[in-house]
Amino acid sequence: MKQLIIIATLLISGLVSAQTSYEKGMQKAFSLWEQNQPTEASNLFERIAHAEPDNWLPPYYAAQINILYSFGEKNEDVLAAKLKKAQNLINDATAISKDNPEILVLQALLHTVWVTFDGATYGMTLSGKVVELYTKAKLLDPTNPRAVYCKAEWDMGGAKYFGQDITPFCKDLEHATELFANFKPETAFHPNWGADRAKMLLDSCQK
Amino acid sequence: MILVALISLQVSAQTIISGTVFNAKNEPIEGANVYLEGTYDGATSNEKGAFYFETPATGTQTLVVSFLSYEPFTIVGDVSFMKGIEVKLREDVSALDAVVLSAGTFSAGDNSKVNALKPLDVVTTASALGDFVGALQTLPGTTTVAEDGRLFVRGGEANETQIFIDGIRVFTPYSPTTNNAPTRGRYSPFLFDGITFSTGGYSAEYGQALSSVLLLNTTDEPDQEKTDIGIMSLGATLGNTQKWKKSALSVNASYINLTPYNAIFKSRNDWIKPFETVSGEAVFRKKTNSGLFKLYGVFDATNFELTQDDINEPEGAYFKLKNNNFYLNGSYQGVLNDTWTFFSGVSLTQAKNDLNIIESKVNNHEKSLHAKMKFKNRISNRLKLYFGTEYFATQFNESYKDTSIVHEDYGYNNNIAAVFAEADIFISKNLALKTGLRGEYSAIFKDFTMAPRVSVAYKTSSKSQVSLAYGNFYQNPSSNILKFNTDLKAENASHYIFNYQYNGDRQVFRAEGYYKNYSNLVKYDTEFTNFNSNYTSNGSGYATGLDLFWRDSKSIKNFDYWLSYSLLDTQRDYNNYPTKAQPNFANTHNASVVGKYWIDSLRSQVGMSYSFASGRTYTNPNSTGFLNHKTKSFNNLSLNWAYLISPQKILYASVNNVLGFKNINGYQYANAPDVNGTFNRRALQPATDQFFFVGFFWTISDDKKSNQLDNL
Repeated sequence: MKQLIIIATLLISGLVSAQTSYEKGMQKAFSLWEQNQPTEASNLFERIAHAEPDNWLPPYYAAQINILYSFGEKNEDVLAAKLKKAQNLINDATAISKDNPEILVLQALLHTVWVTFDGATYGMTLSGKVVELYTKAKLLDPTNPRAVYCKAEWDMGGAKYFGQDITPFCKDLEHATELFANFKPETAFHPNWGADRAKMLLDSCQK
Repeated sequence: MILVALISLQVSAQTIISGTVFNAKNEPIEGANVYLEGTYDGATSNEKGAFYFETPATGTQTLVVSFLSYEPFTIVGDVSFMKGIEVKLREDVSALDAVVLSAGTFSAGDNSKVNALKPLDVVTTASALGDFVGALQTLPGTTTVAEDGRLFVRGGEANETQIFIDGIRVFTPYSPTTNNAPTRGRYSPFLFDGITFSTGGYSAEYGQALSSVLLLNTTDEPDQEKTDIGIMSLGATLGNTQKWKKSALSVNASYINLTPYNAIFKSRNDWIKPFETVSGEAVFRKKTNSGLFKLYGVFDATNFELTQDDINEPEGAYFKLKNNNFYLNGSYQGVLNDTWTFFSGVSLTQAKNDLNIIESKVNNHEKSLHAKMKFKNRISNRLKLYFGTEYFATQFNESYKDTSIVHEDYGYNNNIAAVFAEADIFISKNLALKTGLRGEYSAIFKDFTMAPRVSVAYKTSSKSQVSLAYGNFYQNPSSNILKFNTDLKAENASHYIFNYQYNGDRQVFRAEGYYKNYSNLVKYDTEFTNFNSNYTSNGSGYATGLDLFWRDSKSIKNFDYWLSYSLLDTQRDYNNYPTKAQPNFANTHNASVVGKYWIDSLRSQVGMSYSFASGRTYTNPNSTGFLNHKTKSFNNLSLNWAYLISPQKILYASVNNVLGFKNINGYQYANAPDVNGTFNRRALQPATDQFFFVGFFWTISDDKKSNQLDNL
């Protein structure tokens, strides 16, 4: 009996330690995000970032949340503060992992927030940067689906505005969905978003 | 038994950490991130500012509380005591909405906190015709001197405004021109991404400028490789940008020839050889591990030959000019460690003019150098120190020949060494202070001057602030004087500025009142400066006024406009003035209205600008007195239209003075009276009343989206 208990205890503690505190933390953060608690999720990602100074994923996600929840923000002061924070987090992530296509795509999204906020002011100055970032990301990893799909979405916006043909970008989206189908994230926590939206955009193409 | 023991051990190992987060006004902060440094344990404060979490950590730990726009708060202590902590976060003075030291300054750039102008405005303002100086003339504090085109700021002469590129002085910033057509800045706006225009009270870093400084920064890193082609009614431009891993090169060439234009449109000048200029610019940047190296070079050559009406020359006054200008500017900016940064730069100027004026021949050659070194020590977010040293050297030689004087050579060397130190002190997010001191030694006068500068800014509400600034400024007299006499003093000006600023959501209002006192201005006793004149430094003057600015891009969708008004009262007794008088380059009222409307369905931006300037003084010898009359007021309405044919092709057209106002800049009187005893006069009018411009601009780049709209 005594032995059984010891074995059971060992097993339980073994199970617990199999799931590291990093994994627990990341899972908790993702579930907070799913439960629509972005501030809590971003704060937790930031805490993990401080505790894991060699991992670019926590600052990446903290930045992503700040960026995604900035789209549609009307108050310029709040927007500027949020994006400044996101920029600092991106800088932290870049310092850990240089020339990372995922981080470049995120940086392009950050600029896109400014362009959608005030196209007249930021369109001219940031458009070139956005395209340069996507081009660089595609060059670094031609199989990264997010670089291909985000660039296609960006290009489609411009083409629609100028009344130009969007079919070449629909082809890019098709290519992106193929890449999504074959994409295997390095770990469960590596970026793996965008497939749904790419599919949705492609469907609107075919209509 | 063991299980129970284990569980209880587990429970007892958890320490509870709790508390509340407030701001300086004791209001709770929601969403603050509270955690133990180096652990995953933490929480987010709720709407009451309260936080609560458990941690297995024991002993001495660091608790961190952070939130947007606040300085992070840390407390070190034993976790068992971290209960019911009250945390008061201090606002981050580097946050975007903190008070700014901005008295006297207009900035255009992405990085500056208060933007009166956006970089794009410099080139999309209707009356500017792609010249950054033209765009700045729609800001308050400037006077419209239509025949000149340079910047005249707050009752100061044009040479009282100095221009700097990447912190390094430009000695010959303007293209030469005839005396009835405005000049332009030599440098294409396309290579710059930051412009700061200060109309007074500027930092101790800048010297040898009595009235104003204009700071231009070249683009640190171009966005992408591209080729820009421009075909205009006046000439053509070609630009190219290449990027490598750590470096980038941009080149830009332009050729302007007014022959076709003058053939179509009537000009008041009788051109023998119309205005022609060819110029080339290049910027090279290289990133090092901890810094940025920039090299900027420009060469341009201008020539023209003409005869202009002149009341004293029945045949007209003959004028021929050949100008070659070369400017090279190299700078390095680097980070030494966490708190120290370093800047150094040097510029070289070579300017050669060959002039024929009626029967005289003048050749001059200016060689100038400026070297600067600056350190910045960021002691904390609340205290920053700057100090540095710089050296200016100018060598000017001129030769003169006419029918009576066979040949004469003269010139001067003007060398100045300076040191400066400055501190930015942020007492709180609402109160900041900048104080500095500048010392200069002028070799030509063997004289040392000390110039203190100070400015204080206080935030009165979340969107508004007031500032006060005082500064003392020295500048050596211009080459026009120094080439004949060097036994003088540096001219001096003191500025007193009071500024109110409202910086709302896409709305900016500024009001600035100032008083400026001039002393040691040069006086002489002949009609023109020459060797026989008697020179003194006894001149003086004052300028006082009010500048108002309002910009709004919020109220009407796709419509952006600004209004500016300047009131100026100035008099000076200098040069050969017999008495104190309002100089002819200064008037009382200046106003500008600039509007831009983006028509989405036409993919076009239409722009208009209107400027009004009240009359300027002139001397009428038929009545007694000096500068005793004023011209009628000046009016100009300009329109422009930019149409995006495709993302990379733009058609641009502009008309200056659409309504064809007959503006008069002054009068020239005959040297001798006619038979009736009256002095006849001739109105000084611009070479052409109106000006038309059409251009086609094409950008070729990978992204197929960039265009030159921001350069027009």
